[in-house]
Amino acid sequence: MTAPAPLTLSETQQAALIRKLTALADDEIILAQRGGEWTGHAPILEEDIALANIAQDELGHAGLYLELRRALDGSNPDQLAFTRDAAGYTCARLVELPRGDWAFTMLRQYLYDAYEAVWLDAARQSSYVPLAEVAAKAFREERFHLQHTALWVERLALGTPESLRRTQDALNALWPHLGQLFQPVAGEAELTGDGVLPDLNAVRVRWDGLVVPHLTDRCGLTLPPAGAEQPGREQHTEHLEPLLAEMQRVARDHPDAELW
Amino acid sequence: MTQSPSQSPTHDTQWPRWEVFKQDSEKRPYQAVGSVHAGDPDHALLTARNVFVRRPAAVSLWAVREADILSATPEELAAHPAVLDTPGEADTYHVGVKKTHKRSMTFVDLVGTVQASGPGEALRQAQAAHADALAWLVFPEAAIARTDDDPGTVESWFAPAKDKTYKQQQYYGVIGKHVGQLKREGRMPRRVNEEPHVADHKVYDHPHDQPARTLEANAADVEVNP
Repeated sequence: MTAPAPLTLSETQQAALIRKLTALADDEIILAQRGGEWTGHAPILEEDIALANIAQDELGHAGLYLELRRALDGSNPDQLAFTRDAAGYTCARLVELPRGDWAFTMLRQYLYDAYEAVWLDAARQSSYVPLAEVAAKAFREERFHLQHTALWVERLALGTPESLRRTQDALNALWPHLGQLFQPVAGEAELTGDGVLPDLNAVRVRWDGLVVPHLTDRCGLTLPPAGAEQPGREQHTEHLEPLLAEMQRVARDHPDAELW
Repeated sequence: MTQSPSQSPTHDTQWPRWEVFKQDSEKRPYQAVGSVHAGDPDHALLTARNVFVRRPAAVSLWAVREADILSATPEELAAHPAVLDTPGEADTYHVGVKKTHKRSMTFVDLVGTVQASGPGEALRQAQAAHADALAWLVFPEAAIARTDDDPGTVESWFAPAKDKTYKQQQYYGVIGKHVGQLKREGRMPRRVNEEPHVADHKVYDHPHDQPARTLEANAADVEVNP
């Protein structure tokens, strides 16, 4: 069997792929930062460690995406993570929202993990081999995250009246922001057509099939009505700026640092 | 693990404690690696994986509720021989023995199973078969919560750890440049509390001090594995 000819991307396709990889990485970086905020504060030590693991994995995925980007345009992942301001970030608003309580944290992570697992599963078939390889690697971790967070959502929803109330409140607050995860970036359609990127509509259908029965049938939660059409990734909540200020502080204070 | 079975558990607001047994490969015994607090068996396994298998190799995990484990040292049995009469269900019991005081990531190996009428009887058999052990523990087969062994679980629970190697401390000490390069350029930082230096030379040597250590000597402390 001969190896397939390497896929060559046009300049427009390459720019769109860079936009997509950056958006994927930005979601991971910001969610990892929110997860990291629990370090030392989680309800029990074991969950503190578990959430730190998950956050580290997400940050690792961001690193994988940004390395793919580096291969395309030579950009430096650390520079991208630590020197862009809110206007330069392209994360979804879902991951910017403050960490909230444990129910909010676990539910957001669950909804995101399910999206990421489904997206990565599809991306394993990407015609762009470097992406397919990254997706295969990250998918394994995401499956495990998903088991952990699905378990928590279920335990909280079926726990006490208080934990149910908090979980339902979290769902009400998060649901309107979910549509954004399934919005394509500019130029994404062409890449989907060429099999480089997963079809987001198909990802959404699979995600619905996974998440909705879990939330409703299994956990007894009530789905809020679908939100209105969302603005794109260039619009952020007021929460992103303070998050970046904290996350980037050391890097900005010591721009020439080589040792720490 | 060292709690004597004769002690009644004190009031505890934490979730139940589960002992975690990890198998590193198909050919290795399950070994006690520590414990987690968790509300139920699935939760115990998930937290056990996070706490004990992020990096070390594993192919399978068991979690056993503390209340289902009977353990004793020779000293405890000498003081409380009635422990060997602890009643319970007849079952296949797993036997664990602690063989050494050496500090290690694991401290009890599961060495096999016995058929017993209850935990006390299982402990008696464990004691007879492994007379020189520092401690024994037994628990019934029915008490084990175990990870699935389907390929999907192995892939997502245990395979990623193989790509996550431990890194030397020095790895985290440097951003962008290797420590050796910085050393050669004379830019290695010294210890935080060290007295002032000009280049390699300490400025204020106290008369009772040892001769000032050279930059290279300081750097050598850091560079474990260049």
